[in-house]
Amino acid sequence: MSGISHPRLPDYAVCRSVLADGRLLTITASRRARGNRADVKCHVAAAPALALRMQQVVRMARLTEALLDSRDQVLLSMDPAPNARERDWELAAVLADRMVRGLYAAAPGAEQALLALGWSDAWHLGRVEGEPLQAQRIAMAHLAPDGVLVLGGQVRSDAGEPDVSGARCSVIGHLGALHGHADLADCVASVRSWFPLYCGGSQDSLAWLEVSVFPLAAGTVPASEEDSIAAPQLDPARLQALRQTLCAARHFDGHGLGRWRTLVRFSQPEFQGNSYELALVMADRMARGREFLPRGRLIATGQSSAWHAGLVEAVDGQQAKLALIARQAGAGDRILLPAGWAAALPAGYVAGLRQRGASLACIERIGMI
Amino acid sequence: MGFFLRRRAPRTDLAGLGDTLVAHACETGDVAPAGTTLLVFGANGQARRQLAGKVALAEAERAWCFHPGPYTLTLLPFAAAPEWGLQLKVVVDAANPRVAQQRFDLFLYSEVAQGLALVQLQERLQAALQLALAQGVLELAPCTTLEEWHAFRAGFNQLLYTRFGLTVDDCVPIDLAPQADYAAQLRARAVPVPVPTFNPIAGMPAEAPAHVAAAASAVSAVSAVSAIAASHVRPDAQADARGLRRLFLELPALSSGLRLLEVPAGADAFAAHQALLLRLGMASLNVQSMPTLGWSAPDQALPLVQQQRRIGHTLLSLQALDEGWSLLAQWQRSGNDTSAWRLLHDQADRVCANLETGLAGRRQPYPPEQEDGA
Repeated sequence: MSGISHPRLPDYAVCRSVLADGRLLTITASRRARGNRADVKCHVAAAPALALRMQQVVRMARLTEALLDSRDQVLLSMDPAPNARERDWELAAVLADRMVRGLYAAAPGAEQALLALGWSDAWHLGRVEGEPLQAQRIAMAHLAPDGVLVLGGQVRSDAGEPDVSGARCSVIGHLGALHGHADLADCVASVRSWFPLYCGGSQDSLAWLEVSVFPLAAGTVPASEEDSIAAPQLDPARLQALRQTLCAARHFDGHGLGRWRTLVRFSQPEFQGNSYELALVMADRMARGREFLPRGRLIATGQSSAWHAGLVEAVDGQQAKLALIARQAGAGDRILLPAGWAAALPAGYVAGLRQRGASLACIERIGMI
Repeated sequence: MGFFLRRRAPRTDLAGLGDTLVAHACETGDVAPAGTTLLVFGANGQARRQLAGKVALAEAERAWCFHPGPYTLTLLPFAAAPEWGLQLKVVVDAANPRVAQQRFDLFLYSEVAQGLALVQLQERLQAALQLALAQGVLELAPCTTLEEWHAFRAGFNQLLYTRFGLTVDDCVPIDLAPQADYAAQLRARAVPVPVPTFNPIAGMPAEAPAHVAAAASAVSAVSAVSAIAASHVRPDAQADARGLRRLFLELPALSSGLRLLEVPAGADAFAAHQALLLRLGMASLNVQSMPTLGWSAPDQALPLVQQQRRIGHTLLSLQALDEGWSLLAQWQRSGNDTSAWRLLHDQADRVCANLETGLAGRRQPYPPEQEDGA
């Protein structure tokens, strides 16, 4: 029900959460024809007030969606019932409701192992709150080896807090962040993009990086553009390379220099190679509001020796990365590959992605056309 | 014998036509400036276009005067990318002799009360564009290639023609950078604004409350739905009346547009299309017999809360109507290719379901009792 493409929807979806006392809580969502009934039905054994609260949460979170479908009824059930003061299950209910309607998909393989903790007083605005540090402590014990953990709240890792994000754990401050979009109410623009991380085995995965741009106070000019870019997870040599990449790409942009303070974070900072550069440059352009936006995630791989000219060059590991992207791409995702790969795409690759609602472009240079 | 009547000076200010004003309602005695077209609607809703000149209206006739343009507009396809826009040049084309009713005439008749300023037109076009992009009807992804751009242009042209009756002369992506400063906008956001609170009304559907959706535009990644609602931030009885007027006038026009489509061969497609037209016809009938907003039964006033709920449902139906026009535009482009047809029929099913849900909610004075919140 997302967009024009009509991917197969799951019959049911499961999202788990963890109670404060460490017990695991399961929220199951299933779909059935609506037949003149309410849009959302919730069931919690022996706690009708909690069921009403869950229905309210899910309905309010639905206000942030673009596409309305009143053909189906979603049934949600929660087990065991938490006590009335606990609210960290709310995010799990919202995610289960979205998963069963195909609006959100956990990584393939992790559909049954999604843990979510977060709550909100303003679901209708898409805001998600929580205590990521504390939540991670209680949730890690339940996280399966291939599981994914989504936590509500804010992490300001430049404020000296330990970074709880990682390959399997992400912290979101609003629902759009599930697809890496910037928060339209925040005074910092943070955009995530994904890139394939290939290490020749079962550990291949899509890693993300996040570019946050903070506007400089009016009238101030940074000493140098490179000093205004920080990536606390990287060692000095790699940080220098990252700074040069971003500066060159902003130079190509025309209006990019001297306006922002930038923070870059990675889901996993230990990797080799420069194939993340295209994802980095595109996330930076989107964060600065100077690029059209994808409906879903942006997945990119590519490097360049001439970012100041906007050129994109090919990278290694083509077949493995293509296979990985084909497995992971979902509805609305935008995939950007170097132009050199266009000739070697497997037959039916683009059509297969389009079938699932993703779009692919092999680009020679960044920017419009 | 008008000789003895005191001559009334033209009252309506039509000076901005073709510049900041696209169209304006006229009355008897006004003089439509040269270069504009006069559009007169008879009492039965039939339109006729006349050359510019003095306006003389019979009883129960209404007239609008519009300038065909061209108009240059800047649209923002994504709220989160304020430095990247589209520059558009649109015109109101000469009347198409092959159709009984020009789409632009219908647009003026059903959606414009008095005047249509260029800014208002820009807001409407932008809302339609953002909705189409958020729903995936149109694609304008990062690093758009030339083929993708052409596909976008074709879809967008058709959308504007089918939805507003406007012809796109030219459309180019532009860099709004020196004027639109995203950094300054972000700095302005650092000043805290009060969060709008939301008190749910029992029985109110999640889809309905447009004023809440309008508030959501401040935050959510998808702002298009709320952008539509933003024009009537506090829905009132007027919004309800305007919405029902639009549904009353436009649903038959939408049906006749769908009727003209070429159906792919096969009994299934034909039957499905017949069923769709029947549903739209029933919805139209539903609108024509819609009860008044403020009464639950004759001489029994309806509480204000329930009136709000009814207005919410009207806005929900209205959004389904807009999606119906966008669907018609897609259909007109896709031809009678069977697989595309099937996907579009699925969307049509969704739009009809939303329309029926909205109209049913608008009809009921109180939300139906449902066992244990089912």
